[in-house]
Order: sequence, then C-alpha cells, then structure tokens
Amino acid sequence: MKRYLNFFIALIAIQGDLYAAEAGMPQLDPKYWASQAFWLILVFTVLYFSISKFYLPKIKNNLDDRENRIKDDIEDANKSKELSESKLKEYEKILEGAKKEVIKIQLESKAKLDKDIHEKKEKIEKEIEKELIQAQKEISELKKNSISDIHNISREIAANIIENISGDKLNESSIKAAVEEISKKNVGKYL
Amino acid sequence: MASNPMQQFSVHKIGPEIKIAGIDLSFTNASLFMIISASIILLFLFFGTKEKKIVPDKIQLIAEMFYTFVAKMISDTAGSKAKPYFPFIFSLFMFVLFCNMVGMLPYSFTVTSHIIVTLILALFIFIAVTIIGFVKHGFKYLSIFVPSGVPVVLLPLITVIEIISYLSRPVSLSVRLFANMMAGHTMLKVFGGFVISLGLLGGWLPLGFSIALTGLEILVAFLQAYVFAILTCIYLNDALNLHH
Repeated sequence: MKRYLNFFIALIAIQGDLYAAEAGMPQLDPKYWASQAFWLILVFTVLYFSISKFYLPKIKNNLDDRENRIKDDIEDANKSKELSESKLKEYEKILEGAKKEVIKIQLESKAKLDKDIHEKKEKIEKEIEKELIQAQKEISELKKNSISDIHNISREIAANIIENISGDKLNESSIKAAVEEISKKNVGKYL
Repeated sequence: MASNPMQQFSVHKIGPEIKIAGIDLSFTNASLFMIISASIILLFLFFGTKEKKIVPDKIQLIAEMFYTFVAKMISDTAGSKAKPYFPFIFSLFMFVLFCNMVGMLPYSFTVTSHIIVTLILALFIFIAVTIIGFVKHGFKYLSIFVPSGVPVVLLPLITVIEIISYLSRPVSLSVRLFANMMAGHTMLKVFGGFVISLGLLGGWLPLGFSIALTGLEILVAFLQAYVFAILTCIYLNDALNLHH
C-alpha cells in the first residue's frame, strides 16, 4: 500500500513538473531564432555544396561504373557462350566426319585384309599342294627304292645266315630268286 | 526530483556573443549539433566514397544504399524531371536524418526539435517549389488550385480549400517534424524521470517503457526524415508535372 502511495505521490509531483515545463517551451523563445536560422543556412549550404559537387558525382560514377562493368561482363559472357556453342557444333561436325571416315577406313582395310588373306591363302594352298605332290612323289620313289633295298638287304641277310648255318656259300642268283619270291608274297602285307 | 523535461530543448550560447547588425548570431549548442550532424554526414560520405571498389565494402555499400534509396524515392514520386533537384533532396534527407539520429544520443541536442529550424527548411522548400512551378508553367501553375472534374457549383469552395492547403504546406511540414521530435524526446525524458523518482522498487516498468520508446523514437527519427523528404518530392512533383 505504501508503495502505491509513493507511486501516486511521484506521479503528481512529475505532473506538476510537466505543467511547469509547459509554461516555458524553449522553442518559442525568439532569443536565438536568428542565430539558429543563420547557422542552419550556413551549415546546410556547406553540406549541400559539398554533397552535390563532390560526393554525389563520386557515388554516381561508381554506381555507373559497376553497372557498365556488369553489362560488359554479361555481354562478354554471352559472346563467349555463343563462341563456345559454335565451337561445339564445329567439334561435333568434325567428330561426325571422323566417325564416317573411321567406318570407311575400317571397311576398306577389312576388304584389303580379306583380299590379302585370300591371296596368301591361295598361294600357300598351291604351295602346299605342290609340296604334297612332291612329297608323294618322293614317298612313292622311296617306296620303290626301299623295296629294292629290302630285296638287297634280305638277300645279304639270307646269304649271311645260310653261310653261318651251313658254312657253304650259296649261289647268289638262287638266293635272289628265293628272296624275291618271298618278298613278292609278303611285301604287300607290310607296305 | 526529475528535472524539467523541456530543459533538453533549451538553447544556450557557446563562446563569445556574435552580433551582426544588431542581430544576435552567437554560436549555440544548436549550431554545434548542426555542425556535428553535418560533419558526420560528410565524414561518412568521405569514407563511403574513398575507395572505388567494384565489390563495395560495408561503408561504401551503405553510402550507395542511401544514394539509391533517395534516387528511387525521387523517381517514384516526382519522375525523371526532378533529377536536377536530387542533390538538394539527398542533402535534406541526410541532414534531417542525421540531426534526428544524433538527437537520440544521450546528452545531445536535437536540432530538428526546434520549430524555427524546421520552419526555415519548410519555408525554403515551399518558396523554391512555388518559384519552380511559376518558372516552368507561368501562370498556368495557378491551375493547381482548380482541380479538374469538380462540379462548377463546388468550384469556388474547392479552390479556396486548395489555396489554404497549399499555403499551409510549410506549416504542416515543419510542425510535423518539430512536434514529433519534441514529443518523443519529452516523453523519453518524462519516463526517465519516472525511473529515477520511483527508484529500485517501481522504476522497472518505466525503464522498460523507456527502452521501448527509445526503439520507437529511432524509428520515428528515420520515418520523419523520410516523410520530410518524400513530401518535398511530392510538392516538387506538383510543381514540375502539374496534373492535380
């Protein structure tokens, strides 16, 4: 309760103060009006001229510079973009051309390779055939030779055996005839 | 007990008395704070334009923001014709804004809380706008008092009202700023006084009010500078474009 009482006393006191203040508004005292007007005009004039002649052009210049710079940059960027797009197209064209060429070269080389292989194959086949014929010839010759060789060897062996067993030398022509007879009978079995 | 809340508005002489042709032009605390405000503006603009950076630093950005803010305000309300008056409106806005803001500092003096200061600014604007109107349009400028599309019967009455409203422009312009500043600062002082007189027990409530009011007053300080400048732009628009 005492607190509220204090509050009201204070309020009343301050209200009294307020009314006292209203009696004297310093703003309405004309004593320094001329002085205020004079200094206001002086200060504001100085402020106005230094702002309008010095600072605003600077700010404006800077803002314009920035705007121009941004514009230029955007223009440059657009130009670069166009350039890169055209280069990309060019590149794609070149790439396509190259791809076509690659396919062409591939086909060509394949054909050439096929032809080469074919030729070589034929050549080799011919050679092989030749060699085969040669070999066959050789083989048949060898066969012939070997038969006569066999005759000779068997004749010698027969003569030797007979000599060793009987101690007698047999007539060569008879041995030959005997061997030839047997071999005629049996060669067909082994050859 | 709390001191007189109007005490803060009293003007007193600093230094010797300067009298020119019998008129007292002494340097006062009002003059001092005008110079302080103007110096802060110039210093701020000096640092804001010191370096020309493509990517601005903070202070340069703020200076440029003020520039574009005022430029946009003028172009929105008065159009492109008002461009030559941009430096004046910019200076006006900055001066009023910084005087208001400097006034928010404790123990400072609010230049714009004096009717004589705001009245001189408003009268200068009023006279300049009237002269611009007559120079641009000659006597056709008087047609601003005769709005189109009004019934002939009402025309005399409307014209009289228009003339009165035109003539009251400097008064409304100056009183708006002065009264706002004075009322706000008085209120702050009164609440400050409450804090002292109610002491530790009851002083918290007015202290809270005081803090809230300080925020409000900062808003008002900006708003009144803006209103002052934008009304100047609107008056200028009337004089330049003449379509009521």
